[in-house]
Amino acid sequence: MKRQVSVGLAVVLLAAVVVIIISSGDDDAQPGQSLTTVRGVGGSEKAAFFADPRVVDVFARHGLRVAYDAAGSRQIATTVDLTPYDFAFPSSSPAAERIKADRKVGQVYTPFSSPMAVATFAPIADLLAAQGVVKPGPEGRQVFDIAAYLDLAAKGTRWDQLPGNTAYPARKNILVTTTDPRDSNSAAMYLALVSYVANGNSPVASPEAEARVLPAVSKLFLDQGYTQSSSEGPFEDYLATGMGKTPLVMIYESQYLDRQARADGSITPQMRLIYPAPTVYSTHTLVPLKGEGDRVGKLLGDDPDLVRLAAEFGFRPYQHPQVFQQVATARKLTVPADVGEAVNPPSYETLERLLEAVGKQYR
Amino acid sequence: MGRVLPAVLALVVGTGLLAGCSSDPEGPTTSPPAPGKLRVLAGSELADLQPVLDRAARDTGVKVEFTFTGTIEGAEALARGDADKAYDAVWFSSNRYPQALPDAARRLGNQTKIMSSPVVLGLAKSKAGSLGWAGKPVTWTDIAKAAEAKRFSYGMTDPSASNSGFSALVGVASALAGTGAAVNADQVKTVTPELKKFFAAQSMSAGSSGWLSDAYQRRAAGTDPGQKIDGLVNYESVLLSLNASGKLPEPLTLIYPTDGVVTADYPLTLLSNASDHARNDHQRLGDFLKAPDVQREIMALTHRRPGQPGVALAAEFGTQPMVELPFPATQEAFDALLSAYFDQIRKPSRTVYVLDVSGSMNDDDRIGSLRTALVGLTGASDDLVGRYRRFHGREEVTFIPFNGAPQAPRSFTVPETDPKAELERIKSTVTGLEASGGTAIYDSLERAYQVIASQPAEDRFTSIVLMTDGANTSGTGYDDFQRAQAGRSPQLRGVPVFPVLFGEGDQTEMEGLAAQTGGKVFDARKAGLQQVFREIRGYQ
Repeated sequence: MKRQVSVGLAVVLLAAVVVIIISSGDDDAQPGQSLTTVRGVGGSEKAAFFADPRVVDVFARHGLRVAYDAAGSRQIATTVDLTPYDFAFPSSSPAAERIKADRKVGQVYTPFSSPMAVATFAPIADLLAAQGVVKPGPEGRQVFDIAAYLDLAAKGTRWDQLPGNTAYPARKNILVTTTDPRDSNSAAMYLALVSYVANGNSPVASPEAEARVLPAVSKLFLDQGYTQSSSEGPFEDYLATGMGKTPLVMIYESQYLDRQARADGSITPQMRLIYPAPTVYSTHTLVPLKGEGDRVGKLLGDDPDLVRLAAEFGFRPYQHPQVFQQVATARKLTVPADVGEAVNPPSYETLERLLEAVGKQYR
Repeated sequence: MGRVLPAVLALVVGTGLLAGCSSDPEGPTTSPPAPGKLRVLAGSELADLQPVLDRAARDTGVKVEFTFTGTIEGAEALARGDADKAYDAVWFSSNRYPQALPDAARRLGNQTKIMSSPVVLGLAKSKAGSLGWAGKPVTWTDIAKAAEAKRFSYGMTDPSASNSGFSALVGVASALAGTGAAVNADQVKTVTPELKKFFAAQSMSAGSSGWLSDAYQRRAAGTDPGQKIDGLVNYESVLLSLNASGKLPEPLTLIYPTDGVVTADYPLTLLSNASDHARNDHQRLGDFLKAPDVQREIMALTHRRPGQPGVALAAEFGTQPMVELPFPATQEAFDALLSAYFDQIRKPSRTVYVLDVSGSMNDDDRIGSLRTALVGLTGASDDLVGRYRRFHGREEVTFIPFNGAPQAPRSFTVPETDPKAELERIKSTVTGLEASGGTAIYDSLERAYQVIASQPAEDRFTSIVLMTDGANTSGTGYDDFQRAQAGRSPQLRGVPVFPVLFGEGDQTEMEGLAAQTGGKVFDARKAGLQQVFREIRGYQ
């Protein structure tokens, strides 16, 4: 009896809160017009963007409220139940292609992209410079040489084996921290990158090439052991706990730029963002699934406020590259317009097979 | 973990969610979903955040409703799909374990790391000094060497019951493997001899971090008959809290091994199928907890490190650089490590079960529950937790059934490999227990001490479980036990007794027994014998 009463009460409370949410929504939008909730699922690196009050306001002006869930892009393309969602927003074109094909979607949107980059610390960069992994690059920038890194990693070199290393004598392998290749897009992008270099600077496009690169690229993931399922995880570790846990981490450039722009002390003077040579672009691709998902895709590419806000979060707007530079200049950030050679990811099928083959070796 | 374990075990052992939702006041606290309420399945150590959560409820309108469980139980409930019906979020010391179970991993949604604490070694200051470790770089290999030579002793939680023990086991294995990479299932065999060295110095086990640190403090202060131990392997936060309590005769020196630690990072994790209002509440609560002033409050209150970048560390955390050890990624690797730990690596146990089979055990088929509970420890339960709580390789198990007088003790030794035949023998012994006659509790308990005294075994965790469902009706009494206890050798006096409250057992006497022996009372009156017998395994 008591239980029934409390369930009844909960229903009343629920109703009350729904009313409050709707009416408070009214305050933000045009009077008398309630907001339509659009549900999306995508990479965790875009969650902060969608949660930002300024972004919420712009969508509200268009009568929309976006509820965004973070999930690994591969999970979105494979295991996540997409039924409740109006759009999927994976961080790579291969994952988007898969969803597009599975759900028979016509038009997709690519409002912005981000090159992958390595976040590290000055003492680590110095150690790796001595090993030829970090090298001088264009415009006085340093680059992270993937080929030299692969050589070092292939030998299973530990940090404490580097000659004269007093800065970081850790008894663990020199490895770039990534996300879980079984779940996450940034790991898939990293795999696209290292498989290209391991394949003699050419995209993996045959079963023979797959077999040839697999041992070397698998080791880069398996030796890390546990990895997190979404890209915000290792980057948060990098910021909050520093060098001990995460001396090198593969991230989206946008993650770093966003933190720099906040100027909240999370980027310390020791921290460095180094672009790999070559790099790879993560193309954030919105796949509309139903309802107002399509409008969200259009607005992200067309609405000037959303384009500017995306740039403020460190994303490179696809159709409006100049906005990215304007925002950077206004914030006194030095951001290269050109991050050097970028490789094309292998086809969706090849990338999937590689990821699958790496995933199977976890023991 | 103790208080609410039964609730979640009910989910895990498959009695189902409905049982969990009964109106039993001791049952789980899952209630219907409602906006402004986040139902969280969590590690019990998060109870220390309550003051912060009370403030969160006032400031954000989001009230957290905790149900506590162990990491493995929680992950298993997630994988079975039980947890996401009853909870909106999970909050464990780390998501590494659930992430390794594919069916649990896909149920994890948005997560935000609130705080962190590494698992390290804390040693009494004088001991750290005499080992030459104070302020010096020390590796896990140094620690294992000193442990093998028994130059110090320490307590650690059961890795199948508590995350600090689990993290310590995995971390030490990775460090001692020395490969610089995560240990996988195939490498466990290679690292087993090294691990044996490290665990040779473990002289106390416990099912929960809280009980372990209390017991350490009582032993250090001399208010517990157990042998004093030199330190603890536990979360930095637990060790710093002990130091801050002012109850230790000498503070603990924290040793941060230079080759690495394993760190708990407490991700507040929404379940992927959570309702819209739960999503909202999760976001608001996460934002609140990550605000710099709240992070500082958490740091001061719980001695855990902030999870928000840019919040400066308090002085008590020191400035040692901390390397994070690679952690295995698969359940296969965890399983190989845990199995090796229990069956080969840790000091084996010697466990004496003093079991009431008086006539009253026929009431409500109590004797049937007892049989089932004991059969459950022979490997009959195939859920994860059940597997790790069975009688382990090399363990000595003795049963002393009693009614008006103790019956003849029956002892078994489980072999290190192929334990099946011996476990079958245990099973048929306990299945044959019949109830009749009176209740001679203290005569029977004395019989247990005689058994232990007759075969001294220093390198075992020795303990007595006393299960009785009524008051003492024949033979010696509680007063006689107290006198006998005072006259025992220090070693026998320090053997913990774990009384199990059942039926009409005398609670006052049982609590007295636990206090005088450094044991702990387990209440099976509501939770049932099966759950309690499993839980006790963490302390044996």
